[in-house]
Amino acid sequence: MSFAASLTSAELTAKASVRRRLFGELARTRLSGVILIVMLLVLWEVSAARGWIISDNWPRFSAVLAAAYHGLRSGELGEILGSTLYRMLAGYAAGCALGVLFGLLLGSNCFLDWTIRPLIEIQRTLPSPAIIPPLILFLGVDDTLKIFIIMLAVFPPVFVNTYGGVRGLDETLLLTAGTFGLSRFDTLRKIVLPATLPAMTAGMRIALSLALIMAVIGEMISGTSGVGNYLMSMQYAMRADSMYAAVICLAAAGYLLNRIFLVLERAVLHWHHSMRMS
Amino acid sequence: MPELGRKGFGLLSILSVLLLWELICRAGLVNLSLLPPPSQIAPALWKIVASGSFLVPLGQTLGMLLIGYTIACVAGVALGLLMGCSDYLYGLLEPLVEVIRPIPKPALIPAMVVFLGIGAGMKITMVALAALFPVLINTLQGVRGVDPVLLATARTLGCSRLATIRKIILPASLPMILTGMRVSLSMGLVLVILAEMLAAESGIGFLILDLQRSFQVRPMYAWITILAAVGLVLNVLFEMVEDCAVPWRAK
Amino acid sequence: MAREITGQINDGHLERDLCMLSLKSLSGLVLTAAFAAFASVASAQTVRVNYIPITDVTPMFVAIDKGYFAAEGLTIVPTPSTGGAAGVPGLMAGAFDVMYGNVVSTMLAQQQGFKLEIIAAGTKQYDNPANTNGIVARAGDPIKTGKDLEGKTVAVNTRNGIIWLFARAWIAKSGGDPSKVTFKEVPFPQMLDALRGKQIDAAFMVNPFFNAAVTDASAFQFVAAPYREVQPDVEVGHYISTQDYFAKNKETMAKYVRAFRKGVQWYNANLRDPDLVHIISGFTKMQPELVAKLDLQRLPEVVNLGSVATTVKLMKDNGLITGDIDLAAMTDPDALK
Repeated sequence: MSFAASLTSAELTAKASVRRRLFGELARTRLSGVILIVMLLVLWEVSAARGWIISDNWPRFSAVLAAAYHGLRSGELGEILGSTLYRMLAGYAAGCALGVLFGLLLGSNCFLDWTIRPLIEIQRTLPSPAIIPPLILFLGVDDTLKIFIIMLAVFPPVFVNTYGGVRGLDETLLLTAGTFGLSRFDTLRKIVLPATLPAMTAGMRIALSLALIMAVIGEMISGTSGVGNYLMSMQYAMRADSMYAAVICLAAAGYLLNRIFLVLERAVLHWHHSMRMS
Repeated sequence: MPELGRKGFGLLSILSVLLLWELICRAGLVNLSLLPPPSQIAPALWKIVASGSFLVPLGQTLGMLLIGYTIACVAGVALGLLMGCSDYLYGLLEPLVEVIRPIPKPALIPAMVVFLGIGAGMKITMVALAALFPVLINTLQGVRGVDPVLLATARTLGCSRLATIRKIILPASLPMILTGMRVSLSMGLVLVILAEMLAAESGIGFLILDLQRSFQVRPMYAWITILAAVGLVLNVLFEMVEDCAVPWRAK
Repeated sequence: MAREITGQINDGHLERDLCMLSLKSLSGLVLTAAFAAFASVASAQTVRVNYIPITDVTPMFVAIDKGYFAAEGLTIVPTPSTGGAAGVPGLMAGAFDVMYGNVVSTMLAQQQGFKLEIIAAGTKQYDNPANTNGIVARAGDPIKTGKDLEGKTVAVNTRNGIIWLFARAWIAKSGGDPSKVTFKEVPFPQMLDALRGKQIDAAFMVNPFFNAAVTDASAFQFVAAPYREVQPDVEVGHYISTQDYFAKNKETMAKYVRAFRKGVQWYNANLRDPDLVHIISGFTKMQPELVAKLDLQRLPEVVNLGSVATTVKLMKDNGLITGDIDLAAMTDPDALK
């Protein structure tokens, strides 16, 4: 994947085939990144094995791998990941839907903007850990609470980006719509929505990792299932290798989710110039 | 509509929410020991503000936030630009970024404590690490989204790489970057509060947790209000900066 | 059923069919009611219990495992959490019915107007040959008494908690001034690292971390066991419910306490039983080998209000609470005998 910012003529003419791009350059350029990661892991293993760093919380990487293997084989890791992902997706969907809705509405309507935005600003700037105790009152300590927390975290970036996208709309586009006599609804559908889509997806991409993070944090604070809970109980059981194994699985899951999102984003935004160059 | 009218609307909605809250409490629909009405929280808030005892924890929390946030912004923009402009750096760093990004930073605390201890350094690192990614991603996306016509123009005019970055890419991606910085600010605030809750003896986050643990709910809500105010002020300041930096953005 | 109604339009049969229909539905209803009644008698009453995954709550799991609760017709739904203060809001909100918490947390809540009820004893520090918790310092550091800790940093898991309280009490008792000691909040799993990294000078640890520290003589040294030295019979933890729930469910609570007590008795009688290791490993997720290494101590069957009162006095002396708490009024009389 090259960028518009690269100034070689090959990119600018955008003639190269996608396949060559994907497997030729992609593999080659990303390879260095993978090697970097491998080197860091080797460093981890050596530092623990050689005793450069002594701590119950710094097991050998090989021990972590072994724990990961056992955890995956026994299905334990799969189960906790599934549990976390379920909550995460529920909260993510809700948060995105609300974020887009409010972003579009408030971005285009002044009255709603003035009345509702201050309230959203307060919600957005209030860190969720601080409001968990009151939330427990109304939502208990199980799934509802956690999904709600996730939704609260997903909403702001999606809202902010959608709102920003709507506000940042090129005036010319709107004027053109006016010239063509488009109705309010049609303007929204044919001009505003497509033009704001890249901003929306940018917000949704950020929100994706936020959703996973909040899902795990919520589980660390209360509950019986999920990765967050597993991380805490492994720490208290002095099983740091299992804990790191779960962290790695979490990273892998997050990476995969992001990749899937990118593929979907590309499919939806294939017409936009930021995608055209890739 | 004049500025005052706009602000007036906002104030009105906040006041109506507060009124609703007060009424719900008076109607006995909630356990008052767990959710006191604003009329009971206000005196506690006044006590904290009037005595000036809010300054020290506020200073501590803001201090950690600002240091971590600044590091995150500088690093995020720099890395974003570099990765956006250089294929090689992108290939080198993107896997690492994508691997670290989905990990909830609190999950990394055990490892961070091993290397950085339990002091301010560890907490600032956590804040910086968490705030880094939105800025980074948005900068990357902003750089990618630069209108190719602008770039072609730059090439035609014979601009150097550096000049192109400075005069075209940076200003063009600024809106995206600033949006990312905005998200990072909230993320940073969440993390600094979380970090204070997990291992600290001072700061707003610690205070809120401490008061919750000793069940002093009224001061706790007072502090949550202060926290909300802090967040709002930070945001307003950010918006002012944004208006100065990207005045050409259509409003 | 709808088919029977619509299918039989035939006049002659309609009355008969309607009769049959009503008979069928009536009998269905009666059967369902009977089944429900039978089911409610035979099936379990559910009690949701919030616990901290430490070995102190083992008797409850023993009672579940051995079927003591089932014999009383109770189904227990255990949910883990991180501690007393985290659990009380949930308890008040009705997210669970019973919780295991520490005495300090309960008293703080009671003082703030939460109406709680002590229903069973949880953890009592007995005179055991081995320690299961205590203050640990780095090996070689000259820390033997509270006075040595003045000007130093001591780690506790939560400030204003029971560990903090007893650390202060011990410092005072052994000749030091607690106000000259800096207390830092460090989560238990991080205490060993912080100690090694010289960010703290001592830490009040619990198992399994305490065990890991004292068995590593090259790095750490045992300093003191504050509970044992300050108040040997201190009741650290207990099971509580809300006064509301307790008043409405006296019978269920009586059954719960009966079954639970059987669990405690079995636990006390079988401290070295491999079955116990299996049970503990199950709910704490600790490896069986690690569990086998821990020194388990006996747990109390009854609540001793006298010792709770002593703790309350300690809380007062250290500025945690003001005023008095009527302990008898908030304790289930059954828990005392």
